[in-house]
Formats: sequence, structure tokens, C-alpha cells
Amino acid sequence: MAQSGVISDYLDRLAGELAFDRPLARGVRQEVEDHLWEAVAEASASDMLEAQQRAVANFGDVRVIAAQFAIISLAKHSRRVGLAAILVIGGVFVAMKARLVWYAAVHWTMCDDLKAASEIVGAIDRYAFWLSVIIGLGGFAYINSGRTPLVMHREYRQQLRRFFLLCTAATAALVVVVISDGVLTALQLAGTELSVGFFVPVFSMAIEIACAGALVFHVRRVTQRTASTATLLKR
Amino acid sequence: MQGMEGEMLKGHLDMIVLAALSAAGSAHGYAIIEEIKRRSGGAFDLPEGTIYPALHRLQQAGLLTSRWVTAESGRRRRVYALTRRGDRAFAERRKVWEQFSAAIGDLLGGAQPWHNPA
Repeated sequence: MAQSGVISDYLDRLAGELAFDRPLARGVRQEVEDHLWEAVAEASASDMLEAQQRAVANFGDVRVIAAQFAIISLAKHSRRVGLAAILVIGGVFVAMKARLVWYAAVHWTMCDDLKAASEIVGAIDRYAFWLSVIIGLGGFAYINSGRTPLVMHREYRQQLRRFFLLCTAATAALVVVVISDGVLTALQLAGTELSVGFFVPVFSMAIEIACAGALVFHVRRVTQRTASTATLLKR
Repeated sequence: MQGMEGEMLKGHLDMIVLAALSAAGSAHGYAIIEEIKRRSGGAFDLPEGTIYPALHRLQQAGLLTSRWVTAESGRRRRVYALTRRGDRAFAERRKVWEQFSAAIGDLLGGAQPWHNPA
């Protein structure tokens, strides 16, 4: 079927407005294209161009539709960040435990001079970890507690703001955990002869850093998405 | 029948979509809109594009499921259906709406025209 200029222009504008979420833009474009062509096929108008113009007019303003999709997209990504926070915290926990199991298996002990420093860092590590767990779970429960609204009303904006604050706090606590773990690993490995056995603690630390980095990236991205959604809704 | 106010419709859009899908079984966006128009006698006259964000939102809430099929025209088409949770949600909303509607009906039916004593 030959693409009409009227319908393809409309679809291009709609996809352009939804550029903040490319998979969504692709899906919506296909869905709307099917709708518009079906509306044209059902139209009684003998003039094809008129039928296409009417189909587009009946569908509505692309900005209004894009704004409604923007809220849905933002809600979906916010929930994903909440879930990502839980998974990342879980990943860091597994990496931490794997390292401790390895130390016990290979009978690596820390030299006495470093034990006092290790206890202080270990306490910071524990508190920061449990803080990240509590805040992360709280944030996840909070963002999943309400339904996605039709319009971005004040209450929902506040809910998102509080959620991002919780996410930022959980991420900051997790970064402290990873730094503390890095220090503890360095203290543990200090004075130990370089061997193949170093691979496990170094690899587990790399996993922790990657997990925390991924979370920082996701939180930052969803915050940027919120800003672009707010811009879209203001127009 | 006179077209209903847009804002009033938006407030009930989710229930309207759920009702149309409950009646139609599974349907794509265009068919859902046609079902809404047919069943409402043309009273619900929203911009057609408004239905799609509603469908996506209801799917996100777990009340609808969707799958892509190829239509006879050869175009890709997204077909929606109620989930079990969506069925339950619709039944609950329907019950609440019927109670509300009956109460308003009683209120309006029993109301006397107001006369200003002045």
C-alpha cells in the first residue's frame, strides 16, 4: 500500500514527539498506522485525501497523545529503576558474601596492624548496606503503590520526586558500600603474595563496581527522562 | 444523544475501555473505539488517539494483555484482551458504578424544582 503524505507526516510527527522512548515510539507508530488506515478504509468519503485528513483529525493532536504516553513511559521506567535498585543491592550482597566465603576457604587472614582500621570500615560497610536495603525496598514499594495517572497531576509529580530522592539515597548508600568493600579488600590483600587467588576478590569487586555504576546510570537516565517529560507537558 | 463532556469521559475512560473489551473479547484499538461508539449510541466522542495511552496504561497495570498479529491488510496489529485481574477489576468497578448511578438516579428522580422565595 502506498504511503500517503498526510498519514506518514502525522506518524512522523507522533514518533518525533515520542523520541524520548524509541521502543515505545516504534510500537505506537505501528499501532496508530494500522488505526489510521483502517479508518480510511471504513470512511464513506470518496475522496481518499479527505478520508485521510479526517482520520488524522479524529485521532487528535500528536502533542496531547505524546504527553499521555510520556507519563506512562516515565512510570514504567521509574518502576524499572526501583526494581533495578533491588537487583543491584542483591548483586552487591552476593559479591560480598562470595568474597568472604573465598577468604574462609583459602584461610586468608588480615594482619593484626590493619584489623582496627578494618573494623571501622566494616562497620561503615554494614550500616551503609542495610541503609541501602531499607531505602531501596521502601522506594520500590512506594513507586509500585499507586496507579499511573491519566495526567501528570501534582500528587503524582510529588510521588516521583520522593521516589527519586529515595533512589538517590539508596544509590549513595550503595556507593559507600562499594567504596568500603574496596578498602576492606585492599586491606585483606595487603601483605598477601600476588597469586591466582587474587582473582576472586578482584573479580567480585569489579562486579560490585559495575552494579553500582549501572544503578547510578539508570537513576540519572530516569531523572533526565523526567525533565524531558516535564518539558513535553509544559508545551 | 448529546455528546458527553470530554473531562467527564476522561474520568471514566479506564472503565469504558474495560467494558468494551469485556464485551468484545479481544480486539485492536480501532475495533475497541468502534465498540465504544456502537454500545454508547455515539455518546462517547473522544479524540480516538486518547484510547491508546489508556490501553497502554491498563496493560502496565496488569489489567490487559496484548499481542501483535498480522492483519488481512498485511499491517501489524496489536490486539488487546482482559487479563483475569482485568476481569475482576471491571466487575468491581461496574458494581461501584451501578451503586453510584442508582444513588444519583434516586437523588435526581426525587428532587423537586427549587423555587426562590424572594
